[in-house]
Amino acid sequence: MSALRLIPRNLSQLTTPTRMAMMGRRFASGGDGVRLLIGDREVVGYGINGRPLYFDSPDCPFPAIRYREVTPELCAVREKELGDWKKLSLDDKKLLYRHSFCQTYAEFQHFSPEWKICLGVALWLVAIGMGISIAMKAKLYGELPETFDDEHQSAQLRRIIQLQMNPITGISSKWCYHENKWK
Amino acid sequence: MLSITARNLACAMRSGLIGTSSRVAAVRCLHGTEESAEEFDKRYEKYFSREGIDGWEIRKGMNDLLGMDLVPSPKVIEAGLRATRRVNDIALAIRWLEGCKDKCGDQKATLYPYLLEKITPTLQELGIPTIEELGYDKPELALKSVYDA
Repeated sequence: MSALRLIPRNLSQLTTPTRMAMMGRRFASGGDGVRLLIGDREVVGYGINGRPLYFDSPDCPFPAIRYREVTPELCAVREKELGDWKKLSLDDKKLLYRHSFCQTYAEFQHFSPEWKICLGVALWLVAIGMGISIAMKAKLYGELPETFDDEHQSAQLRRIIQLQMNPITGISSKWCYHENKWK
Repeated sequence: MLSITARNLACAMRSGLIGTSSRVAAVRCLHGTEESAEEFDKRYEKYFSREGIDGWEIRKGMNDLLGMDLVPSPKVIEAGLRATRRVNDIALAIRWLEGCKDKCGDQKATLYPYLLEKITPTLQELGIPTIEELGYDKPELALKSVYDA
């Protein structure tokens, strides 16, 4: 989910020079558009597959890029971070953490009501499927062929027995040909 | 009678197989010997305490460790914290603490206080806050919608 946030918004509304600059970036990074995708975020690690994606997960807690882009205010705090960490205030530490990561463990592992939409969508799909089959039964398909009535079915059964179809395990094996009745 | 036969049979089998089994053992040795827990800890301690380790390698080591079915020992945690100090990345240190706490799983009540007690001197020396001091043991922020971010 979080990775989606990295996709630049309103690409079509950009002015031509901006777009040209983006093209420049695209080619500067080997043509795979990594810079276009992640903006000015630092690439700091391998992540899960080497792609510069950000997501919070306990399986891979250290994603390949930092969550936020570099800003001048942040640079000031990073300068302080080079020194003694005891001199950093709690807010600075939190700022640095939130710069690198989007959510804490407690946040991304917190129970979320997402199951509701999952269940809702699943039930909707089932309902649509049932609706389609009911509509097809009612409107699309005609009457059943006449071979479905009892008379035709018993005639078919008689023919099967006369031709001794499936004599080992099938229908004819249940018929006694000496006494002409079911075993 | 049966037991005697069985014993004879077992002896015959063993003498027949002994050549093969030693050969199998020799081949298996090529894949390395079983690593003891102490050696494992030492290996990771050494990995994190290497001079000139960079953020990339630290993340790799931590991702690997947190992906394993174990709780990192206090020594390894300390080595990791010192490594983050050397690359000047406090966010990494906090995340590492969180990850180690998460690895305690359903034993958080017993294991986590023990780990914390062991690593507190290092935390104080480096000035790293605990998760509780930061208030990160409970969710702090609700996630904003993707469209307002």
